Amino acid sequence: MKPENPFVAVLALVAGLLFLSPVLYSIWMSFQTADAYYTGNIDFTFRNYEMAIGQYNFARYLVNSVIVSGLVTLIGLAVATCAAFAFARYTFAGSNLLFGAVVATLMIPSHITLIPNYLTLAKAGLLDTYAGLVLPAVSNGFAAFFLRQFIRGIPRALDEAAYMDGASPLKVLWRVIIPLSKPAILSMGLYIFISEWNNYIWPLVAIGREDLYTLQIGLARLYRVNPGEDIIDWPLVMAASTITILPVLVGFILVERHLIRGMMMGAVK
Amino acid sequence: MSAITLKDIRKSYAGGPQILHGVSMDIQHGEFIVIVGPSGCGKSTLLRLLAGLDPCEQGELLIDGKRANDLPPQDRDIGMIFQNYALYPHMTVLENIAFGLELRKVPKVERLKRARSVAETLQLTSYLDRKPGALSGGQRQRVAMGRAMARDCSTFLMDEPLSNLDNALRVAMRTEIKDLHRQLGATIIYVTHDQTEALSLADRVAVMKDGHLQQFDTPDMIYDQPVNRFVAGFLGSPAMNFVPSDCIDDWGGARDIDVGFRPEALSLNRSPVSGPSIAARVVLTEMTGATFIVHCESEAGRLSAVVARGEELPHEGDKIWLSLDPSQVLCFDAISGVRLDLPVVHHSQMPKTHVKETA
Ligand SMILES: Nc1ncnc2c1ncn2[C@@H]1O[C@H](COP(=O)(O)OP(=O)(O)OP(=O)(O)O)[C@@H](O)[C@H]1O
Ligand SMILES: [Mg+2]
Repeated sequence: MKPENPFVAVLALVAGLLFLSPVLYSIWMSFQTADAYYTGNIDFTFRNYEMAIGQYNFARYLVNSVIVSGLVTLIGLAVATCAAFAFARYTFAGSNLLFGAVVATLMIPSHITLIPNYLTLAKAGLLDTYAGLVLPAVSNGFAAFFLRQFIRGIPRALDEAAYMDGASPLKVLWRVIIPLSKPAILSMGLYIFISEWNNYIWPLVAIGREDLYTLQIGLARLYRVNPGEDIIDWPLVMAASTITILPVLVGFILVERHLIRGMMMGAVK
Repeated sequence: MSAITLKDIRKSYAGGPQILHGVSMDIQHGEFIVIVGPSGCGKSTLLRLLAGLDPCEQGELLIDGKRANDLPPQDRDIGMIFQNYALYPHMTVLENIAFGLELRKVPKVERLKRARSVAETLQLTSYLDRKPGALSGGQRQRVAMGRAMARDCSTFLMDEPLSNLDNALRVAMRTEIKDLHRQLGATIIYVTHDQTEALSLADRVAVMKDGHLQQFDTPDMIYDQPVNRFVAGFLGSPAMNFVPSDCIDDWGGARDIDVGFRPEALSLNRSPVSGPSIAARVVLTEMTGATFIVHCESEAGRLSAVVARGEELPHEGDKIWLSLDPSQVLCFDAISGVRLDLPVVHHSQMPKTHVKETA
């Protein structure tokens, strides 16, 4: 994309830097020693990363976060895509009502379901497990809604052609609908992944064992490192933050170019 | 046993008017059936019911003698070419053609070989790796044909498969389809707007209007003995002329009917003639290739006549007398439009005065 106007280019650059500045600042800060930072000197050290990964177990938290967010994304997408296909292509008794119920879940704040979910999982003995982190998040009303709208935009004639070619409904979903919904599914996947990555309240409630902490819980705990002192080791916090945001950033850059491309050209005349 | 039997099929879309009003047909194995009718008369709807894409609630559909109303499309052994192609946009031409074979678990080597040979027949070889988005309308249509042809189904449904091709390709493909039909021995049900296609391809033609089956018969019968005015006017180009019998001079037949005659049955005269004829004035002459169409205005309305090239052409504004061959006219009820099997007697056998006396 080429902006025709140099003014637009400058504006975009300034806006970009503005949005990026906190990230850049925190990355810069993560390489300072605490002393240097508080005394206003400039320094360069890996101490904070070594501390975060070694002493404060962030490597483990990173693995936990990847496992939990990854599973939530994969299972969530599978569930949402199947639901979206059913809602987009089939009418059955109560299908509208059911879809209304799915949409209605978007209007319920997650905090309201926090305690019921906690009680349910406690009964099922799933607190302090990966399953306890993953299961409540896999049903995603928004993803089902969004993907249903997208699938409705795919000409039904393509499904019909596949049926005539001998496909079963699942084959139609797998071979026609999903490939054509790739941009929407990837966008949704990214959205689910980031939401889950940033999820704080639920892991906080559902997890007590330190070895199951996700990055966000670990990060929050850094503020309570030394209860007696009121000085927070900001460079350490920033190193931990960088560890927290970097995987998401890399993931986004990898997926981003797949998001926009449409694929509907040439299906029907 | 018939390949496909339709018994009083009715169809209406939810909340809409009725589209099909009781269609019954009996189609034999290996028959080539062409369905024609004006736009919106329910041709595609009928094909969709046969394919199983829309439920068939009223009436009965039998495939190979077995009730198939509730059989899902993938179990019907029917291939379909859609009016709007419906190619898979994420697959290449080759993949599009081979997809049906893949779903039927044909081994990879064999299905690619089959797909390639089909593509060759359809002159698609140089586009095999393209996606449908990068093809022209005619090329897409051929891919759609290829997708159905690659599988050998017992029945093919084709919804205007040649509508987007240029003339040369259309004629070539027409032959190709005919050949294919002969080779596979498959039952083909083919929808078209093009009457040349209809008459040249069909073993039997079904003429539809507003969801009613008007006539279902061989091309000869449809052309020579249409059951009513609609069928008579729908097939044949230029269309059949209709005039009230009273407007024909020297008309020897029954009174108060409509008389239909094809433009080929008229001959042009520069002066009044004896025998049934109509006086008219030339409005326009049109060349169509081998023949000219002469459009005239008469007191019975617009008429068209066909004149072979080489014959002397009248000029615009000339007064002419169109004489008609009584053996080539059809009689229709003036109100219902149903064709009447009346003997049309030549004037020489029934003197004019005699007609006047009896009338
Ligand atoms: N899904 C639908 N819902 C309601 N009405 C429909 C639907 N599909 C078709 N129709 C109506 O049914 C009638 C017949 O449509 P159909 O597509 O069978 O016509 P056709 O004979 O194939 O016409 P054409 O030659 O233009 O393709 C039309 O009046 C159309 O408006
Ligand atoms: Mg149609």
